Amino acid sequence: MNNVFGVIVISSFQLLLVLASAPLISGIIKKTKARFQRRRGASVVQPYFDLAKLLRKEVVVSPVASWLFRITPYLVFASTLVIALLVPTVVTPVPLHWIGDIITVIYLFALGRFFVALVGLDTGSAFGGLGSSREMSVASIIEPAMMLAIFTAAVTAGSTNLSIIVARLSSTPVAMLNPAHLLAFSGLFIVTIAETGRVPVDNPATHLELTMIHEAMILEYSGRYLALIEWASQMKLVVFLALLSNMFFPVGIATTWSPWALLVGSAAFFCKIIVLAVIVAVVESTNAKLRLFRVPEFLMVAFILSFLALILFFIIGA
Amino acid sequence: MGIIHLSTIGLLIDIFAAAILVTAVLIVSSRSLVFYIRLFALQSFFLGAVALLVVLGYGETHILIAAFLTIAVKAIALPMVLTRVIERIQVRKEIEFSINITASLLLCAGMVILSDSVAQSILSSQRGEAPAVSRVLSVSIAMMLIGLFIMMTRKKALTQIIGLLTMENGVFLSGLSITYGMPLIVEVGIFFDIMIAVLILGVFVFRINKTFETISIDSLRNLRH
Amino acid sequence: MLQPLNPVNRAVKNLGFMIALISSIAGCVLSLSILLSGEPLHVDVLQTRMFGTIAIHADRLSAFFLGTISFLAAVVSIYSLGYATEFLQRRNMVWLVFLYHAFLLSMAGVVMAGHTVLFLFVWEVMSLTTYFLINYDHEDPASRRAAFLYVVMTHIGTAFLVVMFMILYVYTGSFSFEAFTSAGPRLPAVAQSLIFLCATIGFGIKAGIIPFHIWLPEAHPAAPSNISALMSGVMIKTGIYGMVRVFFDFLGPEIPEWWGILILILAVTSSVLGVLYALMEHDLKRLLAFHSIENIGIILMGVGAALLFSSLGNKTLAAIALIAGLYHVLNHAMFKGLLFLGAGSVLHGTRSRNIEELGGLIKKMPWTSFFFLIGAVAISGLPPLNGFVSEWLTFQALLLGFHISDLAVKIAVPVTVALLALTGALAAACFVKAFGITFLGLPRSDHAEHAHESSPTMITAMGLLAMACVVFGVAPGLVVSALDPLASSLLGVNLSGQVALNGGMLLVPQSTSTSIAPPVLTALLMAIIVVPLLGGYLIGGKLRKRVAMTWACGLQKIGPQMQYTATGFSKPIRMIFSNIYRATHEIEISEETSPYFRASITYELKTESVFLKHLYEPVYNFIIVSARMVRRIQTGHVQSYLAYIFITLVLLLLFAR
Repeated sequence: MNNVFGVIVISSFQLLLVLASAPLISGIIKKTKARFQRRRGASVVQPYFDLAKLLRKEVVVSPVASWLFRITPYLVFASTLVIALLVPTVVTPVPLHWIGDIITVIYLFALGRFFVALVGLDTGSAFGGLGSSREMSVASIIEPAMMLAIFTAAVTAGSTNLSIIVARLSSTPVAMLNPAHLLAFSGLFIVTIAETGRVPVDNPATHLELTMIHEAMILEYSGRYLALIEWASQMKLVVFLALLSNMFFPVGIATTWSPWALLVGSAAFFCKIIVLAVIVAVVESTNAKLRLFRVPEFLMVAFILSFLALILFFIIGA
Repeated sequence: MGIIHLSTIGLLIDIFAAAILVTAVLIVSSRSLVFYIRLFALQSFFLGAVALLVVLGYGETHILIAAFLTIAVKAIALPMVLTRVIERIQVRKEIEFSINITASLLLCAGMVILSDSVAQSILSSQRGEAPAVSRVLSVSIAMMLIGLFIMMTRKKALTQIIGLLTMENGVFLSGLSITYGMPLIVEVGIFFDIMIAVLILGVFVFRINKTFETISIDSLRNLRH
Repeated sequence: MLQPLNPVNRAVKNLGFMIALISSIAGCVLSLSILLSGEPLHVDVLQTRMFGTIAIHADRLSAFFLGTISFLAAVVSIYSLGYATEFLQRRNMVWLVFLYHAFLLSMAGVVMAGHTVLFLFVWEVMSLTTYFLINYDHEDPASRRAAFLYVVMTHIGTAFLVVMFMILYVYTGSFSFEAFTSAGPRLPAVAQSLIFLCATIGFGIKAGIIPFHIWLPEAHPAAPSNISALMSGVMIKTGIYGMVRVFFDFLGPEIPEWWGILILILAVTSSVLGVLYALMEHDLKRLLAFHSIENIGIILMGVGAALLFSSLGNKTLAAIALIAGLYHVLNHAMFKGLLFLGAGSVLHGTRSRNIEELGGLIKKMPWTSFFFLIGAVAISGLPPLNGFVSEWLTFQALLLGFHISDLAVKIAVPVTVALLALTGALAAACFVKAFGITFLGLPRSDHAEHAHESSPTMITAMGLLAMACVVFGVAPGLVVSALDPLASSLLGVNLSGQVALNGGMLLVPQSTSTSIAPPVLTALLMAIIVVPLLGGYLIGGKLRKRVAMTWACGLQKIGPQMQYTATGFSKPIRMIFSNIYRATHEIEISEETSPYFRASITYELKTESVFLKHLYEPVYNFIIVSARMVRRIQTGHVQSYLAYIFITLVLLLLFAR
């Protein structure tokens, strides 16, 4: 296979995979939650219809809003797509791995969040400000927690390049059993729950001002803008699940670009993220939403776990 | 013991030690008394597992009894007793903190760092090859510190018991890590000591609650008058 | 003292700042020529019997700082052409222009001085000119207080520097920096450590590191905004210059390990507390001033890590850490300069610095708000702008240190990494607040309602800095290739081609396995926007828009008072970090007839500064008390004073025989 051609093909494949699977994963979580509540629930492909419908609808823009309101959905979507190109999903190393490492990924997420939080303040709505304020406060703890959790794996692998971390860990399975990694995994799991706005930190299905965080920020969005933001957050969930599964259980991931390896890699990837998605749904169904000012304590646990993971790397692991 | 490789034993011990540390951190992070007791049971279970692994890996059979005692008493019996006490007194939450949870967690991280540096200096003064189990020394010191810290900062008598028990688990772990466990007679002695202490404290909790209608030990200061 | 608008004043302003612009550009050229050729500039100025030859000596390190200073000075001079117009009526322009020039010259002198006497002279000139510049609005008691505090603190710093140079003189017998460089590494350990401590305190006060920061949040807001930009952007960096010069050039490379640890402790304290205090500020310029403390902390993380790694013998890693720190020096000068100029425009357009009174300026001041946004993104360390690159390098340098087996490193590195990550996240939160409340939403007061855009020169200046933020973020190879030989020569290693590869496309710290490619990343980010644009069009057709008012919870219309305030915005963070803030608040409610309809509610919030309360107040009280004690011997009689002198003389003669 021609090299440049291969890079383009594999990158587009990865991009399409994340784009296409994101609504499905969100559908699976919704379905699982519904079953827990003894409801039949909507079909797992419902999110696709929702997105298509929203994309076709007109957008309502407040006269108070500025140009930031109009560019943010595209910016958030684009930055999430770039992240999807940098995180190993079915193959490692990803073709464009030299462009950015894990720090870049975390800061690209931060870039998206920065603009969404600004838009929360843009329309002059009280809800938007409330959402941005909460989102940024929550982010101020989970962002470092996430970094520390991933740095634990990075230090084991001797690089912050995600593809190299995954490749090194998949070649030495004993390293995965490192106790520091178990701590880091639990830290990153809490981070995933918080970053993707799930119970017990946030509730994606609520519009109650006492509890909502992410929904409050994007309350003024509608139509195509809303579709892009929603799709971006569904992709964010997939990326986080990919990080969780491939950083800590890099089983079955493809290491070459042969079609067979890619097929096996895709199958393994889907199995892993569907299992993780169901676990997320179980956590969501069996826990109550925390009071807002109890949330930092919960997130602090993630921070401390990740921090201890990094420290433990020296104390016992190594 | 050729059945399981020593490095595997070492790895498993590491994992359980990490798990023990996680339970200690979670105790600090929580405010539900029931959760404290469950976490403590889990912690004692892991501790028993570490002891069993030491038996397997280094053939120190005298620890076998201590390991079973740990699981039977600390992981099963004591939690049951304490759960009974909670059911009787109908108190479920620790709400009085002298330091809030966020700060406590940060301090815990600091204590882990401190105990690591202490453990490193102890181990480096030792001559010869250190066995795998000695690496958990830092965890054990951290446990003692965290236990003491829980007793210092929480006000409910029941939490105090949990703090005491966490400290005791730390002592047991450090015994394991330095000398593969203390002589059996000492271990058994400590066990009974702890059992009796918890029973007495349990009765106390019940009495304090009945007398003052609270289990906060702050009320005990009223006895001075 | 309202003066009539006279043409002379205007001419002085225009001419003065034009000359400043031209000389700053000359400074840039000089600095570039030294950086490119690597040949140090050496000029003997004066022969003295007492102090030896007084000389100017500018090597690569000097040139780097000179370049940063000159570039920002050039931009600020353009800005001042427009900004100083508002002082024309009420102030003497000659005085301002004189101070401005003296300030620029003294900063350039500090980084180029090659001799103790010259250094201390320009250092003092810099302190005095800034004192007068802070005091420029001398009718305002707050300005006078700030200026006084500044001058006291900076003189304490100078005292430590004098002691430092005296120690160096005692051991080397010379006042010239070259002698220090050659003899420094051979000094006894105690003397080295004393010099280190004096330099840390002396330069630390100028750099504004916590706990020596108390003058900074008072002084920077008090000065005119163009001066604040220079003070925050480059003046505090002269402290960093001094530290790097003394630690690496004079004393290095064999140094004890605790130096690095001490600097790292100061660095993390400054960065975390700096950003936490910034979050509680509603005064735009004070907020930015606290962020300067934070960024000095980030710079010092690089410097401290370099010291630590250097002491453990890993010079290559130390060089990478030093590059990260110095890169952040340049970046901070760019975005902090930009933000202060933006704050100046806001002040110019609305007459208010209190962000609770602003809002909606993005419509009234489109250019200012656009450039301020770029500055805000850059200072939050977000890709693809320049703050990201230097923070990334700092992270990499620290993480690579993980493999050094040393207990202190094992503890210091994870803690620093964790707190750097925390700082970055909090800074982003703070700038969402600063930008969002100031520029977005509805205007909260008449000032904001009737704001006007700044003059073209001011906008051009901000645009230039915004462009610098983009260029230094997208093309880091430019900067790294200039810093590479600098760090290599200071630490005595050869780094060529180890950090920037492929003509600056790739940044690779040490090992080839980790890299970022900022130009490609930026291009990719731009190109991929096509996907949502095109995808949306393909699925949903042309975008249809409808304009409707923001939802107001069922009320008729949304009002400015219904928006979130800056105080409200930072409330969750105040609760999370309540142990640090120790905030107290008072709510005063005046009721009229019914408890449901309140005439007014006053909410007052106070946060407490730990350092003021536990460090400065006791010292201050001690000085006051001891001064009272001394006053007892002050009788007012000349004879008794003579008696004191006599007794002292006799005692001295007795003991110093």
